[in-house]
Amino acid sequence: MTESKRDADVAFIKALAEMLRDNDLTEVQVKRDYGEDGKLNVRVSRAAPPVTVAAPVAMAAPAVAAPAPVAPGVPAPETTDDPASHPGAVTSPMVGTVYLQAEPESPKFITVGAQINEGDTLLIVEAMKTMNHIHAPKTGVIKRILVEDGAAVEFGTPLVIIG
Amino acid sequence: MNSGTAWPEGYGRRILESVDSTLDEATRIGPGLGAPEWILARVQTKGRGRRGRAWVEPAGNFAATLVMFPEGNPGQIALRSFVASLAVLEACIGMAGRSEGFALKWPNDVLLNGGKLAGILLESTAGVLSVGIGVNLMAAPPVEQVEARALRPVSLLSEIGIAVEPEEFLTFVAAAFARYETQFNSLGFEPIRTAWLSHAARLGQVITARTGNTETTGTFQTVDATGNLVLLNGQTRVAIPAADVFF
Repeated sequence: MTESKRDADVAFIKALAEMLRDNDLTEVQVKRDYGEDGKLNVRVSRAAPPVTVAAPVAMAAPAVAAPAPVAPGVPAPETTDDPASHPGAVTSPMVGTVYLQAEPESPKFITVGAQINEGDTLLIVEAMKTMNHIHAPKTGVIKRILVEDGAAVEFGTPLVIIG
Repeated sequence: MNSGTAWPEGYGRRILESVDSTLDEATRIGPGLGAPEWILARVQTKGRGRRGRAWVEPAGNFAATLVMFPEGNPGQIALRSFVASLAVLEACIGMAGRSEGFALKWPNDVLLNGGKLAGILLESTAGVLSVGIGVNLMAAPPVEQVEARALRPVSLLSEIGIAVEPEEFLTFVAAAFARYETQFNSLGFEPIRTAWLSHAARLGQVITARTGNTETTGTFQTVDATGNLVLLNGQTRVAIPAADVFF
């Protein structure tokens, strides 16, 4: 695991902790698939221990100090590899639940490495039984899929990186 | 037909003998339409529910999709879920001539005598919003064809003994939708939210919301200003944007 990727993971976990606090949730779990780069499985919980990180890749899981759940603010993560600031990042335009395929038995809209065209559906974000298709803002290749099917997302959550 | 049930100005009306699903038809023709339009199918061979669930539609039931082009951010567009459920509820009450027994289940199911009478599913893609509506007018699908924990399906005919033609129902629901949509555009979500809550089933009672593999059980406190289902779980207030709700 590179240093920049570790920083990205730390930033991501901090963002999860913030989301947990802001929404009065007790636990959130995210699994991310980086294609050939490995996987990350994070569970952030307000019950002790506050943060559990299980990274099933070769390197040891990064030790992360969780912000206290009642802390008034979390310092902005200093990182150059924050997926949200990546120029190819597609972020969620709304709060909701992500679906990677049209229906549970359908093939996924996209896979890492796939060529996509501007306007193609990347995934769906559902809120209130409204299925919102998220479209590719440009033509390119899917570099990363940052969310798992069924994941809860906030406004601005990075979903996909297009290179 | 009185003035309250005249076809709304500015909305197209398309009647199909048979189609796979009015939602699928909306996806096909929606981008080419220049104005909102209702698509009604007398027979729907492949009705769709949420996340791949089939919407079983016995003959004589209502299956229609409204294609529209709302402005605003995706969160505001999704609030048409509540606009649609109020319109369907109002049409049902208009047909029944009474409001007793009707209720709404978050976000947009219409209930009658505790059973599911109508389901609504919306799809938003590239500026086109399709509002798919199914109402059991004449017959409820067999109970074994719905999810085990779901409410029993009911029909207007079975519960209150009235037979309503889909095209007659379409006029009522289209008129009600147009009125609520106008209200939403001029006054925002608050009046819609208030009206919706006044018909909410199980408000103040313990319900369960399932999202993916996560279930949250709590007291149904309210629907918030962005349409979230708000449950109070102990001292924790949980706002849920997407879920299946179980009583």
